[in-house]
Amino acid sequence: MTLFVQQLANGLALGGIYCLAAIGLTLVFGVLGFPNLAHGALYMLGAYLTFFFLTDVGLPYVVAILAAAVVLAFLGVVLERLVFHPLRNSPHTHHMIATVGVMFFLVAVVQEIWGTGFLRMESPVNGQVSVAGAQVSWQRIIIIVTAVVVLLLLTWFLKRSPHGQAIEAIEQDRTGAALVGINPSMVSMVTFAVSLALVAIAAGLVAPINLLSPGMGDSLSLTVFAIIILGGLGSLPGAIIGGFTIAIAEVMAATYISVGAGEAAIFIILIAVLAIKPTGIFGTVTQR
Amino acid sequence: MITITGLSASYDAVDVLHAVDITANDGELTVILGANGSGKSTLFKAMSGVLRPTAGQVEFNGEDITRSSPAGIVKKGLAHCPEGRHLFPQMSVEKNLMLGAYVRRGDKKRVKALLERSYELFPILHEKRKQAAGSLSGGQQQMVAIGRSLMSDPTMLILDEPSMGLAPLITQQVFDTIVEINKEGIGVLLAEQNANSALQIATSGYVLAEGRVVLSGTAKELQNDPRVQRAYLGV
Repeated sequence: MTLFVQQLANGLALGGIYCLAAIGLTLVFGVLGFPNLAHGALYMLGAYLTFFFLTDVGLPYVVAILAAAVVLAFLGVVLERLVFHPLRNSPHTHHMIATVGVMFFLVAVVQEIWGTGFLRMESPVNGQVSVAGAQVSWQRIIIIVTAVVVLLLLTWFLKRSPHGQAIEAIEQDRTGAALVGINPSMVSMVTFAVSLALVAIAAGLVAPINLLSPGMGDSLSLTVFAIIILGGLGSLPGAIIGGFTIAIAEVMAATYISVGAGEAAIFIILIAVLAIKPTGIFGTVTQR
Repeated sequence: MITITGLSASYDAVDVLHAVDITANDGELTVILGANGSGKSTLFKAMSGVLRPTAGQVEFNGEDITRSSPAGIVKKGLAHCPEGRHLFPQMSVEKNLMLGAYVRRGDKKRVKALLERSYELFPILHEKRKQAAGSLSGGQQQMVAIGRSLMSDPTMLILDEPSMGLAPLITQQVFDTIVEINKEGIGVLLAEQNANSALQIATSGYVLAEGRVVLSGTAKELQNDPRVQRAYLGV
């Protein structure tokens, strides 16, 4: 039982990370209609930036994460203007190729600045608390709480603010959105900024637990794509439910079966869900 | 007032509209008749900035809006209610209406008054304001689409085939509402295949065929024109 509670806490923390990363990806997909293959690399950059702000600049942990989020949000606007906006009238394959280009570029930049080896970030908060007999580290509690707070803020932003409503409108009907006077370029920029800020927060939260390396985004990228396909492409609730489902399944399989079974569990669930509902849990059939 | 001169437009190098001249006066109801593929929707898209015309000019209240963005055109008071409605299906009726006032969102009081006017015009929408727009019947969805266009407080409303796919009784209701909107002083530019009903409520009209204006005149003249009678009125 203690082991179960312990692993459940680990699963929830991992789920929080997955959610934040997956929502960013699914938002960009919903608004711009292409998968951002550079998402994993941006996650990696977010982790390095948090490391930089914490270790080199000396900012407090939470402030360092926020600083990384701001930098990535700004980078999102720059990428949209510089790379994706000029491609807006070309087929979606061109966008995908461009995201691969961005991915290689970011990995190369990070290797140039921080080197190709592993970096360890000092854990800024130590200690553990006892929850139902299990020892849960403060870091994991911070992850869970931050993820929930960010998800609530994001929901408020999407449902209540004009910019958020504009994002939803474009996702649901591009022509309708244009005719009520929503500027698609503006919404694309806001979406990229939000998406990248979210992935930076995810990376900043996970940085003290995992080692940093230029390739750290690769496995996350794969998992996060599995999550948004499982939840339904472009669906926000899908990304949240998918994120926690996959994370808990991964942690539990790794604990009770074998370490290797953890990653296999992700794709077994994905295949099982797609066999029953090919559009994912909340997906609707759309033609693009 | 809208003055269109020599407007041409194309999709992927296929010319659809050929040097069209059309005038729609404030407060009047101008109808554009034409079969499927005659260029009605293309004309409207070129007017509201969704499609870039290849030649010609669109003037709205004396101002050249040919190169304006859709947002800029809505702000100036020209609203386009598109063919096929293009609602936000997963959002509630009220959110759809509120997004119609996207360009007026700075003025909360005005938006509230506009929302009340929409509900007065379509009381059923008030009843269903919390329901997802996509779950409504076709006629109610058309009401949401018209209401959403009115939320931008236009002086001129472009309506693209509002009767499409609706039962005759519902079509009549929609037409009654269009007359009511027009009586409030809002100019209406209406595209229809349903020539009979449209000419009954219109002030003047144009007939489009293969992207060209082939006939124009007052609604009376068009109703009595033998070519219109043969082609559209089944006389």
